[in-house]
Amino acid sequence: MNRSNDQKSKAVKSKQREPQPRSLAKPLSALAVLVLAAAGVAMFLVKRGGPESPPAAASASVDLGQKPVITPTGWSKGNLAAKTVLVEFGDFQCPSCAAARIKVDTALKKFEKDLKVVFKQYPMSNIHRNAMGAAQASEAAGKQLKFWEMYELLFARQNEWTNVPDALTFFLKYATELQLDVERFRQDMLNSEIQNKIFRDLLEGQVAQVRSVPTFFLNGKLMQGVKNDAEFEELIAQAIRTAQ
Amino acid sequence: MKKKTAWISASVALLAFFGMVDAAYVALHSSRGFLLPCGLAGGCDQVLNSPYASFLGIPVAWFGLAFYLTTAACALFAFFGFEGALRLSFPLVSLALAFTSYLFYLQAFVIRAFCDYCLLSAFLVTLMFALHLWLRQGSSSASQSWHKP
Repeated sequence: MNRSNDQKSKAVKSKQREPQPRSLAKPLSALAVLVLAAAGVAMFLVKRGGPESPPAAASASVDLGQKPVITPTGWSKGNLAAKTVLVEFGDFQCPSCAAARIKVDTALKKFEKDLKVVFKQYPMSNIHRNAMGAAQASEAAGKQLKFWEMYELLFARQNEWTNVPDALTFFLKYATELQLDVERFRQDMLNSEIQNKIFRDLLEGQVAQVRSVPTFFLNGKLMQGVKNDAEFEELIAQAIRTAQ
Repeated sequence: MKKKTAWISASVALLAFFGMVDAAYVALHSSRGFLLPCGLAGGCDQVLNSPYASFLGIPVAWFGLAFYLTTAACALFAFFGFEGALRLSFPLVSLALAFTSYLFYLQAFVIRAFCDYCLLSAFLVTLMFALHLWLRQGSSSASQSWHKP
């Protein structure tokens, strides 16, 4: 009796030891759940920290007690002595910045006597591969006093150089068109002074919590939630009236 | 399956989950064109706006996401009985550790700024590597004991 029981239990044990057919369904479905959960959490965090929410996710650099100060200096146009200063943090590879230059030019024409416009470099190299190169090109052109001319060409022909691996070819072509000393332009693009200037602009923007491009500051105050060009001009008009 | 393998694969899968959230957050955030809030280290924008933030024109975060996804897959397969899967992910995790060390060097000595998300990723990769080592150590000592006369 005992022997037969032993045999039975051995048979059960050997059955248990037999390799079970492994199914792909379990790991694949677990992976799908994991990926969906990760995507969900990431999307939630992005939405929470995105532009729709107030800037609660302020960076530590601001919390340290540094007051964001927007200096009204840099590449300027309009009335350079005007009390009302519009500062733009822009990126030459950003399509919205190309569109915004028309809005800025229209406002500048309207308030020519009372407005100074300053452009600060904010190349977002992590998403725009040629943005830093374009910023360097504009600064190098600025060394030969043709910053605004290069600014216009870079924005107007953004589609030409945006996604090419050798954007420098285009920048050199524009330098030739603007009748710059091309060799000097090429050397200046790599000049550490120019690179430092760009990083100073970037740092200034970061301290002021610039989160997207273009970002405008009117007399040092961030212009937020501007719905259209009319409101943009109205805000400038108000600032001019206040300054007078 | 051994309890140790199950425990290690579940831990690697959990770490890969956090890695996926981290990498996806950075990748999604930057593809929307907005800068990241940066709590502890404070240098996220400096790091992520540097020329080292992308490789072959693709933001490094996307590579990170692919890495974590592959590691999570290996870990889950190992958890559900395909024990060899974790051995497959070992070279990948080693490569990730080497790349992470390079990124850490860039942050410390070239960019001179640290990014929270990169530091978190470095921490996760280091833990994953340690777990893989632990698993290998166990399996190698086990295999040695098999060969004992």
